[in-house]
Amino acid sequence: MKSVRPHPSWAPWFFLSPFLLLFATFFAWPLLRAGALSLEQTFGPGVGVFIGLRNFTFILRDPLFWTALRNTVWYALGSLVVQMPVALALALMLNRPGLRGRGFLRLVFFSPCLIGLVFTAILFALIFDKQTGLINYSLHAIFHRWDPDFPWLDEHVMPSLILAALWLYAGFNMIYFLAALQNVPQEQAEAAAIDGAGAWGRFWHVTLPSIRPVAAFVVLLSVAGSVQLFELPYIIYLRSFGSGPDNRALTIVTYLYNTGFVTGDLGYASAIGWVLALLLVAVVVLHRWLSRGEEL
Amino acid sequence: MRSALKRFFSTLSPAAWMIAGLALASSAGMALIRVPPERGIQFWTFSEEHMAYYRKAVAEWNHLHPGKTVQVTLVSGNSLQQRMMSAFFSGTPLADVLEVERTMIGPAFSGPVDKVGFDDLTPRLRTAGLIGGINPPSFGPWTSRGHIFGIPHDVHPVLLAYRSDLVEAAGIDVSKIETWDDYFRALAPLMTDATGARRYLVNGWYTDPYTCEILLLESGGALFDRSERPTLNTPFNARFIAKLATWYVGPHRVAHSMDYFTASGHQFLVQGQLLAVMVPDWYVGMKLKSEIPTLAGKMKLMPLPAWEPGGRRTSAWGGSMLGIARSSKLQEADWDFAQFLYLSRENAENLFRNDGIVSPIRANWSDPVYEKPDPYFCGQRVGRIFISQATHVPWRTSSPYNDEALTAFDGCLIRVAEYAEGAGQYDPAALVPKAEQMLDAAQQEIVNEIGRNVFLSK
Repeated sequence: MKSVRPHPSWAPWFFLSPFLLLFATFFAWPLLRAGALSLEQTFGPGVGVFIGLRNFTFILRDPLFWTALRNTVWYALGSLVVQMPVALALALMLNRPGLRGRGFLRLVFFSPCLIGLVFTAILFALIFDKQTGLINYSLHAIFHRWDPDFPWLDEHVMPSLILAALWLYAGFNMIYFLAALQNVPQEQAEAAAIDGAGAWGRFWHVTLPSIRPVAAFVVLLSVAGSVQLFELPYIIYLRSFGSGPDNRALTIVTYLYNTGFVTGDLGYASAIGWVLALLLVAVVVLHRWLSRGEEL
Repeated sequence: MRSALKRFFSTLSPAAWMIAGLALASSAGMALIRVPPERGIQFWTFSEEHMAYYRKAVAEWNHLHPGKTVQVTLVSGNSLQQRMMSAFFSGTPLADVLEVERTMIGPAFSGPVDKVGFDDLTPRLRTAGLIGGINPPSFGPWTSRGHIFGIPHDVHPVLLAYRSDLVEAAGIDVSKIETWDDYFRALAPLMTDATGARRYLVNGWYTDPYTCEILLLESGGALFDRSERPTLNTPFNARFIAKLATWYVGPHRVAHSMDYFTASGHQFLVQGQLLAVMVPDWYVGMKLKSEIPTLAGKMKLMPLPAWEPGGRRTSAWGGSMLGIARSSKLQEADWDFAQFLYLSRENAENLFRNDGIVSPIRANWSDPVYEKPDPYFCGQRVGRIFISQATHVPWRTSSPYNDEALTAFDGCLIRVAEYAEGAGQYDPAALVPKAEQMLDAAQQEIVNEIGRNVFLSK
């Protein structure tokens, strides 16, 4: 009997096959399927009607989509503006020579992100509660004029979500900044000090330029994470499926989830998903353009 | 051999081996767990409170009907909705009989009517003569495009539970109160307590869509007409929003938010900061009496004050139904069980005794169980008071867009209240144009949303 010997040209395909199989199953096929679905209106995966590009044209005039987009952008900007300086400040503090308890503080600041978003959401729903919530209770105890019924979650939806995310992610981003700060060339800082630069001057002219590539990377991570915000508002505003009062907590991903998995319109959800993917690509392209010439 | 083993184990770190070992052990453990086979009719309910009583009812049914036994399972509301919708969409395993709440059902009605996952019970209800026997508004949430997909569990009229100890001590006779204006005028002297602290006369807040809907339905307004067409931007609704906004903001503010389901919310009532709360029968039976026992003998019930003289004095909040899955292979047995559980007089009595819920079957309303004085409400015959309002309960539609419409409507209230606060304008008549403008946008949003649905327009 003649044995069949594998042709040498098969070898690359053989070694690539596990990746190709996984890529085709979990990436290429869902992507193609989502493309086809976005041209349909569906009632679950079993019932669909081809409607051409109507899902995409509807997105352009769908007030809920624009509300979700606006909320998502607010959250992303708010997170950037609040989280980045706090994370950098924590990293600068931990990077000070001679600081005692550095390891313990690092653990304390980092530990919130070990907890997970769902638990954080439950925790902050209690913390922001009226009367008995930790924030209102404490503020009222310190400043008697503070209204213990201050409606954090009713009327200050985005600030509340940004504060919750700050607690969760500031320590995580701090680790990146800390690693970057530990690589800042000390000789440059010393030279600047000898030339008469003060602490602010050294930070602005030596430290900041040195950590810029890492800062740009952290910004990108933070924006990408913010665009995908889902669990936090979904759990806090569970009764309204994450949309909150007047849809003020509705994010793009929450809207996508509710459309696809609660009402069963996988077609419109796919169209939203495509738009979200394009937005993320735009963010990455913008980031690449702004940080051109810089390398990690 | 030994060195080969050593080489093999050195390929991974001890921690990685431990993880792999745990994964294997847990997988083996899962494989060995024996799942008891499902026998007979599978029945899922979302309500822990209902479950306590259903266990007894199911045990009795199983004793009487050994050939068609029932297995009842408690599934949390969100999970039940997810599993139900997954089954309707994709044919994943589902119970034969499901008890679902009003807020869970909407998505099931958003597709073609012949693809609704519940069996159309209209012919069965008609044959059994039940359509005329059940309070008509109770069918509303379960009726889509003329087909009834569930047996109603309840009526859920809403009354006002007030702190009778404080109100009567002030010499106020609530029997003379007919409208909300009368109510606020009569109770105005109580708005400051002995220490000078502010009190509020009724619960509710402009960010709370539930109290907004209760009051809208009571007033005669609606989000949809009987044909499920959106009716958000009517002049009536605009006047309603303008008026309601002034309950929450400005110098004549009368309302305060109260979370119905938390201890901190209940404290407002206990401490007397809030003098009254709008309550459906289920809240009285399953929450108020058990979660705020300290108010026993200090509360009384009265019909909601009307919006206009001679107007409706109740509303509706919540509601459940029993539906039979279209996929069930035991539909005749399911129907027999559903009738036993929801329609028998004995179980109607138990429903009121255990959960305080009034049966939707009008023939049951003469039952003596509803005449029993309730010491929590100073000896009032609570069942009778709820029944006296049951026929006036407003009709609610089953539109799959109800949640979106309610959020949009409440959004208008929020923006009108914020506008009133910002502009210092607290005259309801002056707020009407703003309300109309907001409602026009909300109406357009919902019309567009519904118009996009090719299944409903067919």
